Amino acid sequence: MKLPPGRAPRAVRYLVGGTALALVLSACATQDDVVTLNFFQFKPEAVANFNGIIDRFEAENPDIRVVQNHVPDADTAIRTLLVKDKTPDVLTLNGNGRYGELAEACVFADLSDLTVVEQVRPAVGDIIGELGSCSTGEVNAVPFSSNASGILYNRGLFAQYGVEVPTTWDELLAAAQTFEDAGVTPFYTTLKDGWTVSPAFVNLGGALQPEDFFDRLRAEGSDVAAGEVSFSKDYPEAMEKLTTLYSFGQDGAASRDYNAGNAAFGAGESAMYMQGSYAIPAIRASNPDANIGSFPYPATNSPEDTVVVSGVDVAVSVGRDTEHPEEARRFVEFLMSPEVVQQYAQEQSAFSPLTTGAETTDPALAGLAPYFDDNRIIGFIDHQLPASLPLPQYLQELALGGSVEGFLSVMDREWSKIAARTIPNEKD
Amino acid sequence: MSTDVSRPARRGTPPPAMRQDRRVPRVFYLMVLPAVALFAVFHTLPLLTGMFFSLTNYAGYGEWSFVGLQNYVNLFGDDRIYNAYGFTFLFAIVSTIAVNIIALAVAIALNGRIRFKTGFRGIFFIPNILSILIVGYVFNYVFSNSVPAIAEALGITSLTTSILASPDTAWIGVVILSVWQAAAFNIIIYLAGLQTIPTELYEAAALDGATPWKQFTSITFPMIGAFFTINMVLSLKNFLQVFDQIISLTAGGPGTSTESISVLIYRGGFQGGEYGYQTANAVIYLFVIIAISFIQLRILQRREASF
Repeated sequence: MKLPPGRAPRAVRYLVGGTALALVLSACATQDDVVTLNFFQFKPEAVANFNGIIDRFEAENPDIRVVQNHVPDADTAIRTLLVKDKTPDVLTLNGNGRYGELAEACVFADLSDLTVVEQVRPAVGDIIGELGSCSTGEVNAVPFSSNASGILYNRGLFAQYGVEVPTTWDELLAAAQTFEDAGVTPFYTTLKDGWTVSPAFVNLGGALQPEDFFDRLRAEGSDVAAGEVSFSKDYPEAMEKLTTLYSFGQDGAASRDYNAGNAAFGAGESAMYMQGSYAIPAIRASNPDANIGSFPYPATNSPEDTVVVSGVDVAVSVGRDTEHPEEARRFVEFLMSPEVVQQYAQEQSAFSPLTTGAETTDPALAGLAPYFDDNRIIGFIDHQLPASLPLPQYLQELALGGSVEGFLSVMDREWSKIAARTIPNEKD
Repeated sequence: MSTDVSRPARRGTPPPAMRQDRRVPRVFYLMVLPAVALFAVFHTLPLLTGMFFSLTNYAGYGEWSFVGLQNYVNLFGDDRIYNAYGFTFLFAIVSTIAVNIIALAVAIALNGRIRFKTGFRGIFFIPNILSILIVGYVFNYVFSNSVPAIAEALGITSLTTSILASPDTAWIGVVILSVWQAAAFNIIIYLAGLQTIPTELYEAAALDGATPWKQFTSITFPMIGAFFTINMVLSLKNFLQVFDQIISLTAGGPGTSTESISVLIYRGGFQGGEYGYQTANAVIYLFVIIAISFIQLRILQRREASF
C-alpha cells in the first residue's frame, strides 16, 4: 500500500513529538523540586478561565505544576473519588447542601489561618459556614465567586410601557398587571424543569420565614406537626405569593424547559424572568444584545426589608490529607487574589465575594450589586433541606396548579419522615 | 409421590458399569465454572453487599453504623413509597395487557401470507434494538412539541397541551413509549410460537367450517399458551422495573406523579444520600417481583394446553 505523499512523515512527526512530550512529562513528575497539584474543577463552562489562571500561577511559581481535572457530573465524581480515598489536593465545588454534607464528613482541610479569609464579605462567609463544617470554627472552603438570585427584566420593554422597577410587592403586581393588560407576558415560566421554580421559593421563603426557621425546625426532630414552627404555619404567605407570580406566566409553560426560557427571555418574549445571575451567560449566548436588568424580589411592601438571595457559586477547598498542604495553600491564595477573583467574576457574570478591590461592573447585575455592599444578602434556603426531600418536584406540582395547603402538608410530612429515619453516626 | 414403590429399587448399589456411566466428566464442571464465577462476582456478591447495607445508615460515602431492621420499619410508614408502588403497578398492568394484545395481533398479521413478510418482520423488530433513552428523548420532543402543534392545527383542544405536562396524563405517555418499545420483542416470541402450530389443524378446521375468530380462540391461542405465559411474565417483570422510559420522558414528574419504584430508589439512594434506606426498599421490591412472577407462572401454566 502506498501512502499519500506527506502522510507518513507527519505521522512519524506526531509519534516522535508524542514520545518526546511523554519523556518531558515523566521527567517533570520525577523531578523532586516540582510539586504537582491535582486540581478538581467542577464547572464545565469555566475550564478555559481556570486554564488561564493556572498558566499565570505556574509562571509565578515554577516549583508547582497544577493539573486541572474537570468532569461532567462533579457531585457524583467527587463522591467516587472520596470513596477511593483519592481526595484532590485543591478542589472547587458549588456551595450547596452537598458541599455541606462533605464538609461535615471532614473531607476538607481547615483554612481559617489563610489571610484571605478576612477579606471575604462577612455575609458570604456566613452563607458557606451555615452549610456545615467539620467542627465549629473551622473554615473548610473559601468563596471564590458568588451568584445572586432575583428577577431579571427586559429594560427595553420596561421603558416601552413606562414601568418603573418595582420596589414593593404591590408595585411588582401592578407592573405584572400592566404587562398582562398590554398583551406582553409578564413572566416567562419554565415548568417542564421543576427546579426552575426553586429560585422563587428561596427568595420568597427566605425573606418571609421567621428568624432561625430551619434551626428550630431541625430541633423539633420528627414531631413537626406539634412543634412551634412548620411549613404549614410559617410558609403560607410565601407560597401564596409564589403561586400569584406563577399565575402571570405564559400559556404552555408546562412544556417549556430552562433552555427554552433563556432563549425566549433573551428574544424579548417576556418582560421579566425569575432566574438569577447564573442565567445571564446563557441568555446572552442566545441573544448577545439582550438588554437585561435585575432587581431583588420585593417580598413585602417595605423596601428596607428586601434582601438578595446569594449562594457561593464556586467554593475553593483543600483536601484534608493532601501531601502538599503548603503548595495547595499557595495556589488557593493566588486564586483568591483580588485581580483573579475580579476577572473571573467579569467573565462569568458573577459577584466578587471579597470586600476589597473588586467592583461589579456588569450592567445586568447593577440592580443587585448594592445589596452585596450593604451585606443585605441571605443564603439559598433549599440548601438547608435534606437532599432526599424532592422539593423541585413538589414545587412543580404546586406551580402547575396544586394547592398551597397540599404543598405545605407534604413538605411537613416528608420533613418529619426523613427526620425520623435519619439515624446519625456517633461523632468522635 | 409414591415413595414406597420407588424406594426399594434405588436402595441396592447399582452395578459398576452403570456407576461409570452416571459420572459426569469433569470437563463439564470446568466449562460451567467461569460462568458461575462471573455470576457470583458480578451479581450475587453485589446483591449480598446491598442486602448488608440495607441494615445500615450508609449514605453512599463516609461513616456508617448498623441500624438493624429500622430501615425496613420506616419503609412501611412512607407514603411516598406507597405512591410509587401504586403508579408502578398501574403502569405495569396496563402496559402488559396492551403490549400483549398489540404484539399478538401484529404477530398474527406477520405470520399470514403477506408480501414483504421478512421485511416487515425486520421493521417491527427495530424498536427493540434502539436504546430506550434515545427513543425516550425523541418521544419527549414529539409529545411536548409535535403533538400539540398538530392538535392546534387540527383544532383538537384537548391535545394542545403536552400530555407529559399534566400529572393526570403523563403516565399515558410513559405507557405509549414502553408499549411501542416492548412490543418488538413480544412479536418475535409470538411469531416463534405461531410457527409451531401445524397447518393441518387449520385445514381441518376450515373443512369443518370454523370462522377465523373460532380458529383463533380454539386453535391459535391455546396452541401458543406457553409463549403467552412467558410473554406475560417477562413483560410484567420488565415493566415493574421501569426506569429508562421515565428518566427520559418525565424524570418522575410532573411533581412525583410518574415516580416508579426504581426511579425512587435511584433518586433517594444515589442523589438523596439515603443509600441504606433505599437499598432496603430495593430488597423488599426484589422479593415482591419474585413472588409476583412465581404466582403468575403458576396461574398461567395451569391453563396452558397440554399436547
